[in-house]
Amino acid sequence: MSVVVIAIATDSGVPIFSRKRGNSDTVQFSTIASLHGINMFTKCHNLTMLNTLVDNGKILWKEYCKSVTLIGIATGGLECDLELLLASIHDVMIFCIGKKELETLKNVDQTKRDLRQCYPLIDYLLESLDPNAISSPLPTLVLDLVQSFLCPQAQQLQQALDNYAESVTGRWACLSIHGHLVATSSDFDELNPREARLMLLLAASQDGAPLRETPVYLPHMSPNVAFRAVTCKLLSDVYILVVCGATPPLSQIDEIVLLCWEGYAQVIKEAKLIHPRNFPMSITFEPCVLAILVINIPKRRCVFSRHLHPTQKGRGMSGSHRLDILRTFYITTARDLAPELRIDDQERDYLAGLTETYWCSEYHKCHAQRMRNLLCCVLYTSTVHNHTMRSITNQILQDLSSNKEIYW
Amino acid sequence: MSNFKGVNYDSPCDTDDDWTDSSDDSKYSDSASSVPEWDSDVEENGELVFIRIKRRKEKCNENKAPLLENCETFKLRNNFKRTSTRRSTKGKIFKVLKGQSSKNKAQSKKKDLENIRATSTATLNTNELTENPKESVIIQVSRNMIFSSEKNCQIEKLFGISLETHSDGKSLIVADFLTEAMPIYGSKVKKGYYLTKVNGIEVNSYNINNILQRVYEEPNNPKLQFQMPEESSLISLERLLKSKNLLENKSTQLLKDFSCSVLYISCNDIENTRNDDKGVIYCYPRPFSQNFLYNTRGAYLTLNHLAPKSLGTSEPTCSTVLHNDNLIHVNYTSHCNDLLLITFPNKYIDAFSSKKVNADIVKLLEFLYGSLKTCFTKPNNVDRLDSLFCRIFVTLLFNNEQASASDVHFEDILAAYSVTLPLEVRVQVDDAITELEAADYREWTDDFENFQRLYTVIGSCLYYSGHLLSSHLQDEDLKEINAFLKLNGVLALSTDNELEKLVMWKEVFIHEHRKQSKNDGQDYRIPDGRWFLLVVGKGHFILATLMEAGGCTEDAVGVTPPSPFYVEECESCLELFYEVSLDKYLASWLSSNTHPQIETTPERLTKYGKKMKEMNSFRADTLRPTLRTSKSSADLKKRHSSSEQIYMGSSLSDNSNYGSHHNLYSQWYHGTQKYRHSSLDVSHSEDSNSLKSNSEISDDRVQGRRADREQRNRRDSSGSDSDWDRQDGSRASGSIDMTDIRKSLLNEINRVTVHRITTGEENVLFHFIQLEAEKGMFIAPVRNIEEQANNVLYSFIIRTFRSACKKIHELLQQSIRFKRNHAPVNPLNKILVAVKEYGMLFQVPQDVLNQCTSSRKTNEIFKFWVVGRIFSEPEPRELYICYHESIPQDLTEVGYMLSYLE
Repeated sequence: MSVVVIAIATDSGVPIFSRKRGNSDTVQFSTIASLHGINMFTKCHNLTMLNTLVDNGKILWKEYCKSVTLIGIATGGLECDLELLLASIHDVMIFCIGKKELETLKNVDQTKRDLRQCYPLIDYLLESLDPNAISSPLPTLVLDLVQSFLCPQAQQLQQALDNYAESVTGRWACLSIHGHLVATSSDFDELNPREARLMLLLAASQDGAPLRETPVYLPHMSPNVAFRAVTCKLLSDVYILVVCGATPPLSQIDEIVLLCWEGYAQVIKEAKLIHPRNFPMSITFEPCVLAILVINIPKRRCVFSRHLHPTQKGRGMSGSHRLDILRTFYITTARDLAPELRIDDQERDYLAGLTETYWCSEYHKCHAQRMRNLLCCVLYTSTVHNHTMRSITNQILQDLSSNKEIYW
Repeated sequence: MSNFKGVNYDSPCDTDDDWTDSSDDSKYSDSASSVPEWDSDVEENGELVFIRIKRRKEKCNENKAPLLENCETFKLRNNFKRTSTRRSTKGKIFKVLKGQSSKNKAQSKKKDLENIRATSTATLNTNELTENPKESVIIQVSRNMIFSSEKNCQIEKLFGISLETHSDGKSLIVADFLTEAMPIYGSKVKKGYYLTKVNGIEVNSYNINNILQRVYEEPNNPKLQFQMPEESSLISLERLLKSKNLLENKSTQLLKDFSCSVLYISCNDIENTRNDDKGVIYCYPRPFSQNFLYNTRGAYLTLNHLAPKSLGTSEPTCSTVLHNDNLIHVNYTSHCNDLLLITFPNKYIDAFSSKKVNADIVKLLEFLYGSLKTCFTKPNNVDRLDSLFCRIFVTLLFNNEQASASDVHFEDILAAYSVTLPLEVRVQVDDAITELEAADYREWTDDFENFQRLYTVIGSCLYYSGHLLSSHLQDEDLKEINAFLKLNGVLALSTDNELEKLVMWKEVFIHEHRKQSKNDGQDYRIPDGRWFLLVVGKGHFILATLMEAGGCTEDAVGVTPPSPFYVEECESCLELFYEVSLDKYLASWLSSNTHPQIETTPERLTKYGKKMKEMNSFRADTLRPTLRTSKSSADLKKRHSSSEQIYMGSSLSDNSNYGSHHNLYSQWYHGTQKYRHSSLDVSHSEDSNSLKSNSEISDDRVQGRRADREQRNRRDSSGSDSDWDRQDGSRASGSIDMTDIRKSLLNEINRVTVHRITTGEENVLFHFIQLEAEKGMFIAPVRNIEEQANNVLYSFIIRTFRSACKKIHELLQQSIRFKRNHAPVNPLNKILVAVKEYGMLFQVPQDVLNQCTSSRKTNEIFKFWVVGRIFSEPEPRELYICYHESIPQDLTEVGYMLSYLE
């Protein structure tokens, strides 16, 4: 597989950046110019080239803010929503330098330099598409969802987060463990899910720093006015993020963190134990369930697990392969169950009334069912019968929606 | 050749003056020496397109779509379809058909029901016959029928149509049909027709309300008279096919509006300098400056070069562009250094279909011209290409106007549409075609030693109403011939119209020949020669024959016009089918829904439906005797005994008994459910009795007259006023021994059993498609099954099925491609290649459900599966089925059951 993303200043045709993942060659400058030329030429003729299909791949042009054109090229049987990828990358660009600078593009060279800081974030996004790199701990499993895990302590942690956010005069705070969103402050849902995902990406890209502040533009909430994102490492792999104003200064925040979180060390340690199972122990799974992906549709959050059975070693299929199967299943098939998750408004192949869907392959089976706000994709062994599969998924969904320990 | 005896026949016709015409026909076929009627139509290059269609007036009897009927029969048709075929022995079918007023020949129905209809259709007949030659249609709508109108509009409620006012502010134009009303109007009235009269009174937008009021008050069924709009707004396929090089400005303009374009660009430098248009060799529609594809060709050309060379991807296959707010798909086909671009509007042809259609068009062009290059560089070919593309686009865009936007049926673009036929029928069809193919010329001439044949028949295929019945062609040839017939609109023409005569002759370049020139050195080589495609049509039959000149035949040199001899051979092959009454058999077979049976009334599977069914079977016991006596007392002919026999048969065997009950009496269930006049059901059988006798009398009268005139023996199965009968009768006398044997074979099919391919007590199957892409054909229920079902819920299910199938099909292609080619150049997604089954469960929205079940309060959930699976053994095929959720199905089993039907 390979995916390439190129950004060009629309008017001047100056290439801004080009990032790639996979085994393709670096795109030549002349090629970039030609690709851009195609787009400009068709525009002159009142024609917009939306996308182009090639064998096992796709080429996509997308213009943002009337100033920047993103070109995405995916090949080699990569199943991803290229349009969503470009939109996410555009979000990253705004997140780092703000919409205004991107729109005016007064000094292209300056903007190019400024945008360097978002390379790690873009690379994370691209890496998350690569099935070969899935084993690396990444906060992005599926582009449009925030990966999280379900722990019984979430409610308790929410209070702490609320408290913390208030003391740093911020509103939106969250706690991430191993790059998963675990708990949020009560207002956190005001943020667009894509903004929330950017926050997690930011934390991941700033690996190691105990306390750090970064100016960020929230692409949907405030694309022109920068906020201050403060990331603070509590324990290893445990971060608290908060979006707040200019005050209090970082030194003061250091003290506030200590004050607020001292008492929660134990709770956080307990919560940490949930990973990598990612589900409370009170939820049990049948032995034929190999992996599971649960999605909370309105919150755009997903929980993935392949370590469902503590005693059992994964037979035959590697863990990352399972993840890849479920992810591919979700992108190509199960997402049809939640039409609200689609970003393209054309809705060409929208299938009304779809309630369940499944795949059978030579080696495994996948089944997805939706129950109100929850969408559950389950990977089964190939020996399970279809009707058994349906009833097990249904049971899981019922457990998930009735379990008291689950707090999204 | 002089010795050849054409089969004596009369072409089917209805009126007396036509009679004389057709005897001329038979005269010609008697003597091969006379000049065939199509001779003057042969073009300079030897090609021929000759079409004569029976005019609307004559063909109305042949309409497969149920015409206007009494409301009871109309609605009950659903339920009776199945019973009918249970009894549809061959003899049975024909007798029923004949006893029947010809209207309903497509449906062999319970006798008593037929008779109700007989009267209603009789009146209609006269209407149509006395109609003035101006193209107008009269439709009678039952007063008893109330259509469910969402808008609560009177016109919709009464007539099932919605009207709009013409721009002149006065005339009324048909804007749309309600789903339930579709079968009444069928192919006779289309959108855009004018409503001129109601009950003989002229209507316009001013007096329509008064007239509606009067319709309410009058006890008679309202008669609507429609008039066809001026030719201009309708494009006739027939004219397009016939036209040699004309380009109707109208249709070209229309295609321009729909952003359909073709562009062929040569990227060869030499061409570039020689050509004023910078390498553009062909562009349609013209002028260049108005063609958006021409204007933006640079973008596609660049991309086509760039993608493989600089981006390392394959060449682009399809671009989606937005032009003037229209979504358009631009399809790329590279050939050597050249590029062919074809565009389709997304509104009519979505991305999935555009890919398939593009492949078909390329196939067709190669078939007709040998290669894309010769196709576009051949001198003086522009006009021909223009009309070809015009036909292609018109066929694609306007043919299924009933279908909503971007809804080219999944089936229609896949491959050749084939149906399952009983073995005996298939044997006969194959037999007849084989005889044609064998071309045993000793039978034709005494002087066979000095006679060298002109052509060898390589293979042929037979279509009926657009359904492939049999193919003796190589897979690739079948795909190409199917593309030829489909894209040229021949299949559509033969489905919608009854052809009196169709002859097409074209030189073609078969796949094998094209491939061979590339890789020589094979052991087996096909001879260097020329190939010709001969298409002969009659009625709804289309017989396409592929012929080879070369090898053992005389060499074809220069312009090669069709040989009248071979045309007649093909015609006589079709004649043979008429002789054994295959036409009638197929008409009833296609409407029988037995093989396998699918459930076209899905609401029967709801709790409510089941309850009703129980009630009906309870009532059945009391009603059965009545029905039986009505039948036996009225029916004095042999039909009686056979139906009786079937009846007994059905009550003997347990399984069929169940089925027949269910069907026989479900009319009551429907009666109460759907009608205002629910009391109707009690008097029903008596009614039918009296009506029956009426029709019997008229039958006899007609028979007598005809018998006098023709001085021919009536076959035991004849006995109606259907035009088909005359044919039969006339042919029977002149028929040869072989046909008698065949006839008796068809007669042998005395019992058509209902087949089911799903497990479980109830039939939960709604639809299926078994695709054998390699072979270029698929099996599915008949094309007009939706029309036959005439059911909102069923239409919804089918629509969902089709769009789901597109998605499933695309996903499963990964696996098929992987299996075909283990090390593809462009790596495939390794997860998707393993998927062999893909299912989706749908829930019918409550509002659709409410339209079908009268009990609006039930919150019952109706779910159905659409599942697709690929089988690689014994030969690769894909199976798609759609069934009710209540009984889980195993696709392997269903595939197995289906293979038994074949």
